[in-house]
Amino acid sequence: MEFRPRNYAAEEEIYLLPRVPAGAHPLSAPSPSLYQVEVVNHEKNDFYDPLRCSDAIVMVSNDNLQEEDNGSAVNKPTVELPTKEWSSFKKFLMQRFSGSKMVSISTMSDVIMKTGKVHEKSSMTMHLEELDDPQKFAEDGIKVISQQEYVSRLHELKDEITRAWQADDRVTSLKLSVKVAKLLMDTSVLEFYPTLFVLATDVMDMVGDMVWERIKQKAEFSEGGNVISSLPAENFKAEDISVDAKETCSNWFFKIGSIRELLPRIYLELAILPCWRFLHDRPMDIVQRLVMMTRGIADPLAFAYCHLYMAHCAQKLPQHDIGYLVICINDLKILLTRFLSAKEATDEKISEKSRLLISLMEPTIDYITRCLIKYSYQTRAGNVLVELGMGMNQSELCGKVPCISIILHYLLKELPTELVSSNAVEILQLIECSKDYSFDQCLNYRLLGFRLSEKRSEPVIINAVVDKVIKVISEYNSLDEYLKVVDAYVDIILQNQMGNNLNIILDGIKKRACNEGIAETELTFLQSIFLKLLAQFNNLEDIFSLSHFVEILDMMHGSSRSAVNMHILNIATRKGCIRDPTIIQLLFEVSQSLHDGIDYSNMRNDDNQQATRLISRFANMVDHGSEVERHLAFLVECRGAFGGINELKETLVHSSNFLAVKAMKDGQNHISFVKSCIAFGEVTIPSVPSWVNQLNLYLETAEVALLGGLVSHSDGLLDSAIICLQTLNLLDGSRVSNDVDRTLSLIRKLCSLLVLVPGNPGQGVTYIPRSVLALLDSHSWMSSRMRTNVLSAIVNLAATVSQFKLPYHANHEKTQIRGNDHLFFGDPTYLQELLSLSAFVLQNLVNNIMQEPSQVVRGTMALEACNCIASSFNPSHEVLPILSKLMETAKLCLSSNDNYLQSTTKFVDKFLHAKALEGVQRC
Amino acid sequence: MYETFHGANISIQYLVTVEILRGYLHKSLSATMECIIESEKANLPDQPLSPEMVIFYITQDTQRHSLLPELKSGGFRVSGKICTQCSLSDPINGELTVEASAVPLRSIDIHLLRVESILVGERVITETSLIQTTQIADGDVCHNMTLPIYILLPRLLTCPTIYAGPFSIEFKVSIVITFQSELSKSHPKSDPKTPRLWLAMESVPLELVRTK
Amino acid sequence: MVLVLAIGDLHIPHRAPDLPPKFKSMLVPGKIQHIICTGNLCIKEVHDYLKSLCPSLHITRGEYDEDARYPEIKTLTIGQFKLGLCHGHQVVPWGDLDSLAMLQRQLDVDILVSGHTHQFKAYKHEGGVVINPGSATGAYSSITYDVNPSFVLMDIDGLRVVVYVYELIDGEVKVDKIDFKKTATPATHSTH
Repeated sequence: MEFRPRNYAAEEEIYLLPRVPAGAHPLSAPSPSLYQVEVVNHEKNDFYDPLRCSDAIVMVSNDNLQEEDNGSAVNKPTVELPTKEWSSFKKFLMQRFSGSKMVSISTMSDVIMKTGKVHEKSSMTMHLEELDDPQKFAEDGIKVISQQEYVSRLHELKDEITRAWQADDRVTSLKLSVKVAKLLMDTSVLEFYPTLFVLATDVMDMVGDMVWERIKQKAEFSEGGNVISSLPAENFKAEDISVDAKETCSNWFFKIGSIRELLPRIYLELAILPCWRFLHDRPMDIVQRLVMMTRGIADPLAFAYCHLYMAHCAQKLPQHDIGYLVICINDLKILLTRFLSAKEATDEKISEKSRLLISLMEPTIDYITRCLIKYSYQTRAGNVLVELGMGMNQSELCGKVPCISIILHYLLKELPTELVSSNAVEILQLIECSKDYSFDQCLNYRLLGFRLSEKRSEPVIINAVVDKVIKVISEYNSLDEYLKVVDAYVDIILQNQMGNNLNIILDGIKKRACNEGIAETELTFLQSIFLKLLAQFNNLEDIFSLSHFVEILDMMHGSSRSAVNMHILNIATRKGCIRDPTIIQLLFEVSQSLHDGIDYSNMRNDDNQQATRLISRFANMVDHGSEVERHLAFLVECRGAFGGINELKETLVHSSNFLAVKAMKDGQNHISFVKSCIAFGEVTIPSVPSWVNQLNLYLETAEVALLGGLVSHSDGLLDSAIICLQTLNLLDGSRVSNDVDRTLSLIRKLCSLLVLVPGNPGQGVTYIPRSVLALLDSHSWMSSRMRTNVLSAIVNLAATVSQFKLPYHANHEKTQIRGNDHLFFGDPTYLQELLSLSAFVLQNLVNNIMQEPSQVVRGTMALEACNCIASSFNPSHEVLPILSKLMETAKLCLSSNDNYLQSTTKFVDKFLHAKALEGVQRC
Repeated sequence: MYETFHGANISIQYLVTVEILRGYLHKSLSATMECIIESEKANLPDQPLSPEMVIFYITQDTQRHSLLPELKSGGFRVSGKICTQCSLSDPINGELTVEASAVPLRSIDIHLLRVESILVGERVITETSLIQTTQIADGDVCHNMTLPIYILLPRLLTCPTIYAGPFSIEFKVSIVITFQSELSKSHPKSDPKTPRLWLAMESVPLELVRTK
Repeated sequence: MVLVLAIGDLHIPHRAPDLPPKFKSMLVPGKIQHIICTGNLCIKEVHDYLKSLCPSLHITRGEYDEDARYPEIKTLTIGQFKLGLCHGHQVVPWGDLDSLAMLQRQLDVDILVSGHTHQFKAYKHEGGVVINPGSATGAYSSITYDVNPSFVLMDIDGLRVVVYVYELIDGEVKVDKIDFKKTATPATHSTH
């Protein structure tokens, strides 16, 4: 048996494709003139080249979208808040106030106490009477039911109403609806009211729809069911409606009009509000009257929610008008003014209740102001600001009229961006003079900041506002309030380069934080502020040089601190190497603090993974330049400081290897340093938890040792690699198949690496390949396919190292390792050793293939082996039988159409042809 | 002809009785039906009537009955206006403002009253009945805020005001202010027409007319 | 005309902080239709960067790649060409033409792209063409630390391919081209 001799250099000459310098190439930069043409084209927009800057296209399509938006606003004067918005608003109400579990219902109707089935007519009327009497809620024993029961009772009532309606008993439907509406008169369990409102108005809406449908049907069809007229959904007139339908419609209003109590009367009229369209061409007038009537509701909560329902119902009308909403807001203002001044002086407990009340009213104010601003600015109808007593005209605010702070808040939230930015100073004055406990004043300052950030305003205005705000907050003692406001202005300050103000606020934060420490909620704001700073600066030197930045950062803790730390590291590692020693030190501290914050019990957590990634990334990006010793010391420091991060250990090994190579490249006196690096690797690798990763790192480090000429180090590392392989048990764990593939590829890599490694005569030159062979038998997880793969690799390896000149050497000018070709070529024992290894492996190979049960796999493996044999050996009598046996096997197992079979056959034929030629020559 | 009316003490009914005589051997058959009579539209005055509003003030001094001491001393003032002539098909309109009150309000209700009078011999006997109550303020409403009065007339219980020789049917509107008081709780079901310590009231006549 | 970027062995961040700026400025989104990457990126950010250049991205796994989802070997068809992709650390010995030819027969591809040696190479043998785009960052390899950054752009047009080799030598980008045609369809393909 003999190896096929190879001349790698000569082969390369023959097969290398010729290359010529390329004048133009696909990535050449466009010439300046071309570029200009491009710009012109962009502006014209007459065509676009899909290969060109995609930004332009995106921009254009955005423009189109915006135009469409504006267009629709102009074309459709009534812009409805979609039904979806209402239902999500209702859901929000229910979720936000789901506190109280029990509802005392002494004051309320027995409608709720009755279970649906027991209900009798007589008792119903009796209860109705009882309800009529407001005095009833005096002494009666207080009955308490759970909220859940109450809710389910309301659902039952809803079903009863539907059933009665379907049974043409509309009177009962109406009576029950009135009872439901009456429930809304009771606000005694404050937290339950929003839920009650949602459930009750659901019933109201349903009844409203049923009545609408009924009258519409009367208007469209005669008694016999013939079509009289078909009403358009929008824009029909009262005169189109038949007398009969009108009569039915008025009857509904008469019935509702006879309800004694004000609140249910309003609710029910609102429920069937759209029906006024059958009688009136200007149903908005009715809303106007209803909003006035609602003034008779003294209870603030009932008052606010009634207006909310009104805003909802009015949207069902085709025309819209904001007059009633203005009255809504103005009345709310009056009511709140009275409420706030009445309770302010009283004791703590009441004020707590008032706070709750305000928070319950908040969503209604939110919704109503949203409607108001939306309609008034989209339809450009009326001078809202003037009518609210806040403006000179539609676009100019006057600043010194106090407003209820909660109303101001929601107005400010909704006002058009342009208006906010041009009236910023006036708004600021408004906020300043609107100070009451309905809403935290600092939150209005905060909101103004956010609104101003939406659009760049005139520098004069911005300066005035920021100066004023900073003055205001300088009076704040509480860090919390200070941060809340600052958070909203940081972006403005940064964008307008008000460096001085930035120093003032950082100083302000520091002072307050030193005084009282930083509480949990404050951390959130501080985090937000810091993230804005980081986003704006994007340059660590600048950030770290901000006065007090590092000090404040050190005062932070917990997840907020980690979040800021991560952002800092993210910025640090985004821009290539980190070289400044001061920055490195600061970042090291940041990393340490981040590391301390990692929850090691929950490493699957995304934040934790992100944190460990960033620390590893940082360790990797640090570059001490030519001071490699210092760099290595840094790696040692990292290993000590971040022991909890497994990923980092691998990074550190990669880094030390890179350092070693860098030192070699830079030359001079590097050997001892390279040795230190290798030693660092040797010490660090065993702490890497994954065996496969260890193996990988051992191989890399061995490569580097070889590059550095450190044969004995590489031998040691390869030994460790073999031990790793032996220890490897891939039957455990979940990522088995991946690790198996990876291990296989690493074993093959090891074979290629061995080409570089001088054989050790002491252990025998084939010591390592034989160790690998031994592995095959001890590891049951290896499939026969893998065994074939490894065996072929060993044959290839043996053939390669037998050559006169190896395909590659680990040789550089300064580090000369004598390769196996230099050491052993021509040495008969060496060759013998390789041949006997090969013979043994071949035998194994054949056995392994023949034992494979699956035909296709067996065939493919046979082909692989044939390729390996034909490229490694000369056709000799020892090899030929094996080859033909394998070819036969392949042909038996695979279809003759198989491309691999065909190409291998061709290859093997060529090989045999060479044999024939050789025979001829010998003759 | 007067319009059909069913009151407590006075009814105006038009009955048509059909009788079929069937000779001596058989009883005669008869049936009676009521005809509802309303004034013919064509003859009616056009809407709207001239809006006649009366202005009212209700204070502790306008009350002829005794009041809660704190109310008497602290005082209160509710002012407003309300129409005195009203078409049957229109709501009663008006407005009302609580200007001041020493005692918080519980409710403001508008009672619609019907006054039926009959001449018995030389004497006129009058009876007033409450036909509808409509709340216009619930609780201690804000002062100086104008509240609308808007009351739909109950169809079956009203008719045009009539002054006939032997009888008359008139209507009145009574504005009743209920103040918050512990005392009221001990009288859970009292006649709202009865003056009480915690009530203040003012009545105005209302002329109802039928219009087109 | 289809532009295929062949790139690999970036070893970011272990052996290089980033791609050379000169390469980065040439590689802009929208020009390239496919990227084939031999592996050793090594981190996700590099993957994302390549994806931003061109969404059609094909990667095989190098031994240092974090992402375990990359396959060891991949084949794809672009136009008239069948391409094979493999990192190359598993080829014994590394970069050997015979061993690569063996792999090419196994994958049955016209062009085999593999890396690992960090040296640009383009061979043509009976079985087809073998291309090694080198290391795009000039990272040190298993064999040498003397590496010029390089990558390859293939312009595939019908049966013709122009391979552009971008090499960064002494701070300058040198571009060479290699032209080849797929000769008469090999017998093995006619059976499809």
